[in-house]
Amino acid sequence: MKFPRTSGGFYAWLFQRLTGILLVILLLIHFAVTHNLPKGGTLTYAVVAPRLATATWKVFDLMFLVCALFHGLNGVWMVIQDYVHSETAQMWIYYGLCTLGLILLILGAITVIPFKA
Amino acid sequence: MAEYLFRIFRYDPEKDEGTKGRVQEYKVDVQEGWTLLDVLVHIKWFMDGTLTFRRACSHGICGSCGMTINGKNGLACETQIKDLGTQVITVEPLRGFRVIKDLVVDMEPFYDKLYAVKPYLITYTPPPSDRERLQSPEDRKLLDGKYECLLCGCCTSSCPTYWADKDFLGPCALLKAAKFSLDSRDEGWAERVNVIDDKHGIWRCHTIFNCVEACPKDLNPTKAIVELRRMALRGRL
Repeated sequence: MKFPRTSGGFYAWLFQRLTGILLVILLLIHFAVTHNLPKGGTLTYAVVAPRLATATWKVFDLMFLVCALFHGLNGVWMVIQDYVHSETAQMWIYYGLCTLGLILLILGAITVIPFKA
Repeated sequence: MAEYLFRIFRYDPEKDEGTKGRVQEYKVDVQEGWTLLDVLVHIKWFMDGTLTFRRACSHGICGSCGMTINGKNGLACETQIKDLGTQVITVEPLRGFRVIKDLVVDMEPFYDKLYAVKPYLITYTPPPSDRERLQSPEDRKLLDGKYECLLCGCCTSSCPTYWADKDFLGPCALLKAAKFSLDSRDEGWAERVNVIDDKHGIWRCHTIFNCVEACPKDLNPTKAIVELRRMALRGRL
């Protein structure tokens, strides 16, 4: 039985962990700031919008977007690799996931970047 | 003595080919202290000589009698009937492997994966001329929880990732790889990493921990896989 060396695996695994850690940190910051924890506060458009319009929060939200998209789609890709064994099918699904990721990234970016209060 | 009902998976390749096998029931008067292997031997000797299963040592050393007992993998010889806590006991062959007959499965793919990880000490330097290769007690301690594996297949057979991806090396082969890779006398990491640092190797494990639950020797293949990942990560970065 031959076990040919293939390239995949390591980076998918590594970045799944890194984006996972980042997501937890970003989520904690998001909760702390947006919901003004631990005191709590009013959550209205007038309060939130000016903050979301700042460059810092745009970078923050873009990081959130990239990490969440990568983490989610890479997770799906890992499961696909378990259950889909045809290399041709895997290739099509891989490109499909990349395209989906790109579309969602653009949609997210055009929501976040031009936002004005 | 108490009567138990044993629901045992049966598959005869001459009669049942193309089917998923069947379940046959046996009522057995179980004596105090009987293990599942004692029951299977009793059935074969006194009730139904066609029942087929593997066994050798009967003392939890050879790893031959791995099977799925009430849905959980274990060794028949180490499973006390009264400990199962039920009067109806289901016995099936190890999952994830092709059934040859009744409770006997084809272990060849399992051994292929084991051989692939080079489960032996690899050295390039000559040993001392006057003694064997020595190891400090601390280095020897690193191998605790790794050398005790019997190769029964309970862990690999319980792994959902292995069920889905038959090219996955599986917890047993990776535990063996860790055992030799962590051995201070071994110099074969460069050879071994070529096999395990692969999408069907250490990165395929989803840390489901079924292998840990299934191991009849209470070993922790998941931890061994994590240790291999750490070594591979250091090598890559």
